[in-house]
Amino acid sequence: MAINQHIYSDLDLTFLPSPATGDVSMKYDEQAVIRSIRNLLNTNLYDRLFQPDIGSTLNRLLFEPVTPLTATLIQNEVTRTITNYEPRARINTLVVSANPDGNAFNVALTVFIGNQTSPTAINILLQRTR
Amino acid sequence: MAGANSNMQLTNLDFDSIKSNFITYLQGQNTFQDYNFEGSGLNVLLDVLAYNTQYNAYYLNQVANEMFLDSAVQRSSVVSQAKVLGYTPKSAIAPTATVNVVFTGVTTGSLTLPAYQSFGSAAINGVNYTFTNPDSYTVNTVNNTATFQNVVIKQGVPATYSFTVDSSTNPKYLFEIPDNAIDTTTLQVSVQQSSSNSFTVIYNPASNFLQLTNTSQVYFLQEALNGNYQIYFGDGVLGQKLSDGNILRVNYLSTEGTSGAGANSFVLLNTVSGYPPSAVISVTSATQGGDKESIDSIKFQAPKSYAAQNRAVTKSDYISMIQENKLGISFDAVNVWGGEENSPPVYGQVFICLKPTGSYTLTATQKTRLLSEVISPISVLTVKPSIVDPDYTYIALTVDVLYDPTKTTQTASQIQAGITNAIQKFGTSTLNTFNSSFNAYDLLNTIQSYDASIVTSDFNLQLQKKFFPNLSSTQTYNLYYHTPLKKGVLLSGISNSPDIQYLDPVNKANTITGVFIEEVPSATYGVDTISVINPGYSYQLPPKVTITGDGTGAEAHAVIVGGAITAVNVTSSGNNYTSAIATITPQTGDTTGQGGAVVVNLQGRFGALRTYYYNANQVKTILNSNVGTVDYINGVITLNNFNPVGIDNPLGELAITATPTTSIISSTFNGIITIDPYDPNAITVNVTAKTNS
Repeated sequence: MAINQHIYSDLDLTFLPSPATGDVSMKYDEQAVIRSIRNLLNTNLYDRLFQPDIGSTLNRLLFEPVTPLTATLIQNEVTRTITNYEPRARINTLVVSANPDGNAFNVALTVFIGNQTSPTAINILLQRTR
Repeated sequence: MAGANSNMQLTNLDFDSIKSNFITYLQGQNTFQDYNFEGSGLNVLLDVLAYNTQYNAYYLNQVANEMFLDSAVQRSSVVSQAKVLGYTPKSAIAPTATVNVVFTGVTTGSLTLPAYQSFGSAAINGVNYTFTNPDSYTVNTVNNTATFQNVVIKQGVPATYSFTVDSSTNPKYLFEIPDNAIDTTTLQVSVQQSSSNSFTVIYNPASNFLQLTNTSQVYFLQEALNGNYQIYFGDGVLGQKLSDGNILRVNYLSTEGTSGAGANSFVLLNTVSGYPPSAVISVTSATQGGDKESIDSIKFQAPKSYAAQNRAVTKSDYISMIQENKLGISFDAVNVWGGEENSPPVYGQVFICLKPTGSYTLTATQKTRLLSEVISPISVLTVKPSIVDPDYTYIALTVDVLYDPTKTTQTASQIQAGITNAIQKFGTSTLNTFNSSFNAYDLLNTIQSYDASIVTSDFNLQLQKKFFPNLSSTQTYNLYYHTPLKKGVLLSGISNSPDIQYLDPVNKANTITGVFIEEVPSATYGVDTISVINPGYSYQLPPKVTITGDGTGAEAHAVIVGGAITAVNVTSSGNNYTSAIATITPQTGDTTGQGGAVVVNLQGRFGALRTYYYNANQVKTILNSNVGTVDYINGVITLNNFNPVGIDNPLGELAITATPTTSIISSTFNGIITIDPYDPNAITVNVTAKTNS
């Protein structure tokens, strides 16, 4: 069966219907892990019921001054979160740079997913939305 | 997903177990495989599901708990379960006191003390309580003085509510009295026809549902969810139904329960017919109050009330019925036994012994009402219930304590006061009720555990009987100590307190004061009597009685009638016996007689009581050499023809103290062992500091 070819399979929390089947869309393998990392980084500590340790403090750090120091803190936080809660991803490179003009931080992350030999790049722009 | 059902864990209640249970379940499929990673969307959904499951499980658990009387925690649930058992929780009960009220300078021939006058009490723990008389009294004035004797006053404030019956706003005709402090035993319910028709009918509380008809003017009482009481009425089949426009009035006392108990000094706060009161004299202090029934008490009483089925047949039926406090008297302890257990047996009677809260005995009126209104209507036809007063045996303790002053910051007097207090608490918790036992080990444990500095302790126990001798006539009093008494103990033999007064037998115009009672144990210990415990049978000749003991010279012979021993006559009592037995042997030639058995009663079993005083020259003078006897074995002191003219005590109460041979004291039937909380001499604590030199 085609499903069994995937190592990882997860729901997409956007709950948008798949254009092909009309069913809830799913994320597989690489995409599932990337989505998982995004979920973890977007989760604040204490957000998850009875599991206060899951998540990151990125939300709070975004309210700090956009300086290289904060960028370092964010880098540590991303590393901590992925190392602790996403065993499928192994960080290859991680560069967080402050972008004061855009009031944002650029996160350039490359990770090895599972047993992959080539890293997957994930670029995230962290920006306050309020 | 095959096999998932075999792993169902339905007993998990906490979040983590439920979630891991879900994960185990998801292992049985391969559509979604990321359930085990914290960041996955599926894991977030599992969190929500586990939380929801835990929430429901917790809620259902609580609901199930509240559905049973044993596990319910909320008062409303317990009350609702009790309602199914036909049990209405008891309200607070107003403590009752009696006073005499005197008015002087009254110019009218008679004076009426209307109901619900306000009496203020002296402060108890810093609070003054309001008392009121539920009934009105009228007396004739004598010499311009009106004296109201034995006015019954209850702690509380009279309150009134009225409701207009309206089916559009109150279709169930359920009327809630918005007062948590109501004493429902004082509740009076009346129904006025309408605002234009003042014809008013008094409604009574419904008791026996078998006798209710569609015209029975009764009300029902229940506790509402919020703890207030609700009144409701019949539906036109069981009890008369109300109709729209009726005006319902309720009057009751709003009481503070036991907080006001013990008040014994009152003032009347208002004038009566323009006359200010000249004196309010307390006759009895405020007692017999009760607090609103606790949840634990409801859980305990409701099943028993149900088991009694409004019938008094078994012992627990009586106890349960009496404890419903229908007359507004609450009880600390109730004991019931059948007359056949008495000695001698009284068949066909049930004896009920009651200890009212905060006082010692019920009044005669209260006993009569209790019998006629509460007990007799539900007791078995041929069984006659009767109420007996508790027989109090007071314990007087002298406690010696050795303590190490280096191990405590307390002074000797603080330790003394603390131990006295601890013993009083011990008495309240373990004694002071029926069928209780004085436990010496527990007492010493109480003393010992009071403070770590106490090295060792010992106690000396004495028993007291207290009674009110009739000063105007000669009477015989039997005091039952229910335990063997020690004979002739130096300085702590039988004594009385306070001293009593007698008329001088030589000159009747004089009164001798400072008279005391003392015991005179028999000087010679001979054989007094021999009692037959088994008459035996087929004796042809009177058998031989052989007395064996540590004395000498006692002789007796048996009398037979129809082959059985009917009596043994002592012909010589002998000397110096402290113990003796008697054996029965058939005479020579009597081949058939057998089975006879007797016991020897020594003279030392009894002692005499005499009265003495010190005359003007401080010489001990015997006033009466025989005022009574002491039965040491059975623990009975009898005062024969006792006729003192005064007791040196404002209440006129006389206490006779004796020392028991054992410290194992227990009470049965109507006996109550207690440490008198009002007697400052009941507990004496001697504290000695240990010296380490």
